[in-house]
Amino acid sequence: MDAAHHRSPGPVAPAPPARRRGILTTAGLALTAALALTGCTSSGYPADPEGTLDRATGGTLHVGVVHHPPYVDATGAEPSGSEVELVEGFARQIGAEIDWTVSGEEAVMTALQKGDLDLVAGGLTSQSPWTTHGAITRDYAEATGPDGKTAKLVMAVPLGENQMLTELERYLDVAHPGAQP
Amino acid sequence: MSEKGQRRFGRTELPPELQQAVKRAIRLEWITLGVLAVTVLAVGLVTGSSQAMKAAWIEDMLSLIPPIAFLIAIRIINNPPSRDRPYGTHRAIGVGHLVASVALLVMGAYLVVDSAIGLITADHPPIGSFHVFGQTAWQGWFMIAVMLLSVPGPVILGRMKLKLAEQLHDKVLYADADMNKADWQTGLATAVGVAGVGLGWWWFDGAAAIFVGASILYDGIRNMVTAITDLADARARTIEGNQEHPVIYQAEDHASSRDWVRQAGARVRDEGHVFHMEMFVVPEPGAAPTLDRLQSLRDSLADLDWRLEDIVVVPVPELPAEVHGGAPGDLQSEGGQRFRER
Repeated sequence: MDAAHHRSPGPVAPAPPARRRGILTTAGLALTAALALTGCTSSGYPADPEGTLDRATGGTLHVGVVHHPPYVDATGAEPSGSEVELVEGFARQIGAEIDWTVSGEEAVMTALQKGDLDLVAGGLTSQSPWTTHGAITRDYAEATGPDGKTAKLVMAVPLGENQMLTELERYLDVAHPGAQP
Repeated sequence: MSEKGQRRFGRTELPPELQQAVKRAIRLEWITLGVLAVTVLAVGLVTGSSQAMKAAWIEDMLSLIPPIAFLIAIRIINNPPSRDRPYGTHRAIGVGHLVASVALLVMGAYLVVDSAIGLITADHPPIGSFHVFGQTAWQGWFMIAVMLLSVPGPVILGRMKLKLAEQLHDKVLYADADMNKADWQTGLATAVGVAGVGLGWWWFDGAAAIFVGASILYDGIRNMVTAITDLADARARTIEGNQEHPVIYQAEDHASSRDWVRQAGARVRDEGHVFHMEMFVVPEPGAAPTLDRLQSLRDSLADLDWRLEDIVVVPVPELPAEVHGGAPGDLQSEGGQRFRER
């Protein structure tokens, strides 16, 4: 892992102009580096720059939800609904306790952007305009949107926390396989 | 119209080996377009939110312009000079060159600024996963794979085209080949940028994007300088643009070697592929610049090099200052003298 760290910036430097052997060597090096990186896939590759998934695993998952039945019903003492169940399943998988925050969409997305939340659910669709505040997952299911057209359901995680994003998408693929072609 | 399948540069009849070179260049440019189209499609499918991938994608799309400019120009240039276009249509290549270079310059500048802003505001690029064949895999792997696969094609094509560009004295083909040849750097930089993001170094993406943008910007500036220089009728230069074209000296020496010529100096501009030459000659005292002598000098100059066809021979009492004379050490002022001394 460490060797790969040090090697990575190497190929960016312009090599002596266009000798075929030089190119092949560089390409070979890059390929080797890529293969070396593949070796550490399971242990946090891609990694979270801010360590979101690591912190939540075996700890607390901070989830923001917006009242949006049937996906999230926030009228009871504890949130319920289809997306709440999915999030609870994900939390079980990583051994995390959930700390729920119930609020409006803007409030939870701003908290997500600030890093106060790890996950946002509330009937968000792939048309969501909140891409500046959070990373939108691949759509996991279809539903009828507010305009009557078919909408694709998504959730949101902090921007750039790619391990969190990938693991959540992997979980949704398994938990909700119907959405996949 | 010329004979079927015959390629010509305006009035200039091309020797057989250059006919072959033009045909190969056209074929290579079509192959380039095909390879680029596949690359653009593949990169577009996996780009996602990575700034470096976006930069690489734009670069691939911009790379389509020079081959298209070449293929259009080579068609237009086939037309011989006419009353409306007395110098022929060679400038099509210069116009294509300028358009392509401005596109590169603008996009390069945009990408550098856009990526720098992203770095300053600490944009963390989200790169999620793809779900293929029942497996969920990190999208970054697909990006890296596509970028590495996109490297070899243009490099090989670029090297093949570079030889033809020198042979044909074609600046657009040269610029295109030069860019293709350097393409592996940006492909690799993008792959490294995405790999860095995978390690949790979010700024790797923006840094790679700046590198790609800067390389596009550099190509744009360099090509624009050459294109403007040629369109502004600068003295003809070699295809690399770093020195005067030796044909100028050869022609001047050839003209001065005639026994009736005392001094000769040429004004030569690059029309794109071919040169336009005005040869000024000062006759020896007492020697008359007859029509026969002028005509025979013109014809033998045209035989020197295939690039020389549009030639005017002008007898003058004294060489014009811009052709000969002026400050010593000024290369342009030395004309054929410098060549002869060597």
